[in-house]
Amino acid sequence: MNTNEEDGLGVVFRKTLGHYTVHTGGRELDCVLSSLIHKQLIYPTADPTSLRHTVRDVREIEHVDPVAVGDHVRYVEAGDGRGMITDVLPRRTKLSRPATVPGQRVFEQVIVSNADQVLPVFSVADPTPKWGLLDRYLVSAEAAELPSVIVINKCDLADRNPRLDEEIEIYRRIGYPVLLVSAVTGEGIEELKQALQGRLSVLVGKSGVGKTSLLNALQPGLGLRVKAVGAGKLGKGRHTTTHLEMFELEFSGALVDTPGMREFGLWEIAREELAYLFPEMAEYVGQCKFGLSCRHDQEPGCAVRKAVMAGAISPYRYQSYMRLREEL
Amino acid sequence: MRPRLASFGDFRCAHCGVIVSCAHLISGVNNRNHCPYCLWSCHLDLYAAGDRLSACKAPMKPIGLTMKKGRNKYQREARGELMLIHGCIECKTLSINRIAADDDAETVISVFQESLTHGHELHTICMQSGIVPLNAEDREIVYTQLYGRYVEVPVIISV
Repeated sequence: MNTNEEDGLGVVFRKTLGHYTVHTGGRELDCVLSSLIHKQLIYPTADPTSLRHTVRDVREIEHVDPVAVGDHVRYVEAGDGRGMITDVLPRRTKLSRPATVPGQRVFEQVIVSNADQVLPVFSVADPTPKWGLLDRYLVSAEAAELPSVIVINKCDLADRNPRLDEEIEIYRRIGYPVLLVSAVTGEGIEELKQALQGRLSVLVGKSGVGKTSLLNALQPGLGLRVKAVGAGKLGKGRHTTTHLEMFELEFSGALVDTPGMREFGLWEIAREELAYLFPEMAEYVGQCKFGLSCRHDQEPGCAVRKAVMAGAISPYRYQSYMRLREEL
Repeated sequence: MRPRLASFGDFRCAHCGVIVSCAHLISGVNNRNHCPYCLWSCHLDLYAAGDRLSACKAPMKPIGLTMKKGRNKYQREARGELMLIHGCIECKTLSINRIAADDDAETVISVFQESLTHGHELHTICMQSGIVPLNAEDREIVYTQLYGRYVEVPVIISV
């Protein structure tokens, strides 16, 4: 990597089609990535075991973006508010998922780097919460060693989801903080502000749950574009936010708004370690005669299954575990 | 509401080892939940049929027969639908399941015959779950449901 100490230091706040907005000393620079650093970064990202870089590989990995929002970078200023990124500093944390480009090799997509916490956002209704998707977010956050704060938006529609309290209780019992908020009525926004203070947080959730509306409610001056969900029965979102962007918060801290993600695969999680990423399961792993090789499926006397039957682990969470395990 | 799985694939019977097809055309039911040869099932559902939320996953033995009619599935009715009672061999949970079109009728009869041998005990545990098992007086109903008329068939298969 280039380590020219004279280069400036900044943080990537936004990226669009090969252009990166870098914040540095209160200024914004529109940067591109130097070809050299692009090559240096892209090969290890695409395939760390590869020694031969064939032309075919380059074509396959053209979608890999080696710079993520939240990255601390070195840059060379070119004047007129432009610059070139010359180095990406080591990441403290990274939230990743497998990028899905049909017909091509699966590669890592770093959603946000150097984040302090993940905020999976779900709505009470319109669209109805997908708890299996929440489990995916939580597992990915656990794998990235990031704490999670579950945010349930549109709580003004609480009467449309009679099982909400029951579902929320499952996660509270595990130890995840759950915030009930409404971007419309302002309910719970103060608690959300406290949870965000002094941290770099990432909002994740499917389209239409109100991630950007929450951001507007937290900091009214932002005036970001939002749309109502579709008028159909399912209340699906309309993918209004189409790019990742980080926003500095007036009350200290920063928040990354992401486009709605209805699919969220798990990146580089081994089958054997999956149970450890369910905090309530971790203490039962290795406690039966099958030890660490237990799949917690049909093994007689499995401690995890016993805990589910005893009520210590939610059967819904156990089902999520089994589904995710089948994927890996 | 948590999503329920839309359909379940073919499976190998955990009791007799036969590969069982879940095709509707063969079984005549939408959700195959037991082996048509030995009638054993597997404890997979917890709150509702098809939710696949149970962590028990132990084999479920066919322990008797009951009748279901209308919405009140635990009410024994003379002209209802013949149902199998399954009992989990580990956690002792009971469930009732529809008899599929290709279920072995003789095995169903043998389950019924065996249930008569521990009539009182079976009746007690079934009643705790609100299920009314068929008894010796219901022999005619069982045969009529399976064969269309009452004929005694020699039982040679043991479960």
